[in-house]
Amino acid sequence: MKTRKLLDKLVTYLDGDARQRKKERDDLKAVLKKLKRREKKLLNHLKDEKDGNRQKTLKNEIDIVHAQRKKGVRLLKGTPD
Amino acid sequence: MLRRILLPSIFLVLAYGFWISPDFKTISAGVAVFLFGMLSLEEGFKSFTGGVLERLLRRTTDKLWKSLAFGVVSTTLMQSSSLVSVITISFLSAGLIGLASGIGIIFGANLGTTTGAWLIAGFGLKVDIAAYAMPMLVFGVILVFQKPKTAKGIGYILAGMGFLFLGIAYMKDGFDAFKETIDLSQFAIPGLTGLLIYTLIGMAATVVMQSSHATLVITITALAAGQVTYENALALAIGSNVGTTITAILGALSANVEGKRLAGAHLIFNVTTATIAIILIKPFATAVDGISGMFGIAADDYTLKRAVFHTLFNLTGILVMLPLIGKLVTLLERTLKAKAKHISEPRYLTTSAMDFPDTAVEAVRNETLHIYENGRDIIAAGLYLRPADLTGDIDLAERVAVPVHGSPPDINSAYETRIKPLFNAVINFISKSSFGWEQRQMADLHWLRDANRHLVEAIKGTKHLQKNLALYVRGDNPYIRDEYNQLRLQIANVLRALEQARSSEDADVAILALDSIRAKLEQSDDAFSDRLYGLIREHRITPQMGTSLINDTGYTYDIQRDLIEMAATLFAGPEHELAPAQHKLTLDEDEMAEALNEGGGPDEPETPPGKVDGA
Repeated sequence: MKTRKLLDKLVTYLDGDARQRKKERDDLKAVLKKLKRREKKLLNHLKDEKDGNRQKTLKNEIDIVHAQRKKGVRLLKGTPD
Repeated sequence: MLRRILLPSIFLVLAYGFWISPDFKTISAGVAVFLFGMLSLEEGFKSFTGGVLERLLRRTTDKLWKSLAFGVVSTTLMQSSSLVSVITISFLSAGLIGLASGIGIIFGANLGTTTGAWLIAGFGLKVDIAAYAMPMLVFGVILVFQKPKTAKGIGYILAGMGFLFLGIAYMKDGFDAFKETIDLSQFAIPGLTGLLIYTLIGMAATVVMQSSHATLVITITALAAGQVTYENALALAIGSNVGTTITAILGALSANVEGKRLAGAHLIFNVTTATIAIILIKPFATAVDGISGMFGIAADDYTLKRAVFHTLFNLTGILVMLPLIGKLVTLLERTLKAKAKHISEPRYLTTSAMDFPDTAVEAVRNETLHIYENGRDIIAAGLYLRPADLTGDIDLAERVAVPVHGSPPDINSAYETRIKPLFNAVINFISKSSFGWEQRQMADLHWLRDANRHLVEAIKGTKHLQKNLALYVRGDNPYIRDEYNQLRLQIANVLRALEQARSSEDADVAILALDSIRAKLEQSDDAFSDRLYGLIREHRITPQMGTSLINDTGYTYDIQRDLIEMAATLFAGPEHELAPAQHKLTLDEDEMAEALNEGGGPDEPETPPGKVDGA
């Protein structure tokens, strides 16, 4: 690793704010990963569901999870590295 | 009385000793500096308990070998088995780990503490340890004056190690000079009497200094200076091992029964190990000679041989006791019985849980969950439902359609006996623990107190609702009965959805799952209002019934909202470090409306630059 890169890493480590921002990004990514899994699962449930009412409930739930994911991606774009 | 004269007597004896022997003064100063180093080290490690230790404990206690390894490694790093035992007791009391895991950690800590003997015997006495202490002290103290918590913590640890080294150097110098004036080894007692007497001395010294490490250092330095015989030093090691449990026992006095059981396990382990070592002292000594020979330790290097002995007899203790952990747990559970806790008694709010910010927050979270469970049952009873109806998977619509009989439950008295005392205890606990804490845990406690308040509001709402509900669900008018059954159904649905969010595989994103429940609440509320006005218009219900229904619809809405708000804090789940990120993603009213109108669909959200795995 180049000296400059090492120095950057050290500065990031010593800079409390930068570390905090990194943690926030990492946590957001972790939640987004879980949400993606949840949306997939709900979509699979929807495929198997025959009852109209339950289909509607599941559809709403999927829309909400999707909106949460969109919001998360927007937030990630806005958070500096 | 004894306590009153003990301290002045110790002072007098020490002062007399300092007067007649400058070497004794140096040794005592060494012990004092060493103990101060331990205090500083503890302070340093405590500042790292804000999350790191908690996460480590969670991940390292699911299997016995992991608990053992955690005990060994953490004690090796912290060089204090007492600190590890006190932390373990505190985590156990707060419900963060189980008894068997706790016992595993304690066993491991006993082995970890022997690394101290190796460090001191192998390193501390052979090099000029004071030379290492000086820079550590300087860097440590500079860091202690820094503002960031991490720097301060590292500073305390460095300074602590510096003081430990300095203390060892002082003791070494003191004993080296001491042997020129007085030969303590003339007091050596051979045979079994010596073994027992020196075991007791080791025990007493450790109890007084509250540190087996301090006894260890004194023993090793005295041994190196030839002031105690090798056999007596072994007995001192056995005694200090038993004496160290006193810290755990003191720590457990304020803990709940789980903490007391752990201290019991610690005592049983150390007494058993000591008994084995005393009985088998001869074979042990032979084994130590053999092992030392194998590793090239000189036959007269008694300090290293003592370290081998210390490790060997603790290892033997672990090997003997490990298969018996299950039986030990049963025995402790049988002898130290949990006082049958009344439903209104706090289960987790113990004084020892107050020791660390994380355990305090966890204790309040667990207690709040306890209050929630009590509250859920009270609300269910207020709706003429059983708790099992909410947790099972029977059709709730069919369940509420079943005719209701019997007198209404007394929500007021249930609240007074099952909620209020616990709520008071939580408030009391939070107010006692709120000094000198870092911000994150204080914020957590603030939110948890809020969660309790929402729950209390939900119960009070149920009480208000129940007045008319009890009248109409048992009355003759089928229309108003159906409407009130719908109110019951709405609350029951929310309670069940909360239970599912809490216990499903997706519990780690439970906070975000609440958005769907919130969306349902807003939708059902609109539909309900439309139907209500229709019924009044068509004279199916009287205007008086209509007014009651309007008011009670409001109560029903508030109860559901309060329950959801409560869950947003309480159901952060085991990975609640992700809670802030989840809160950022919860949708506000406009976003929710947009999501439901647009029907976002399966098109993937645009991934930002840089790989975002989950998006």
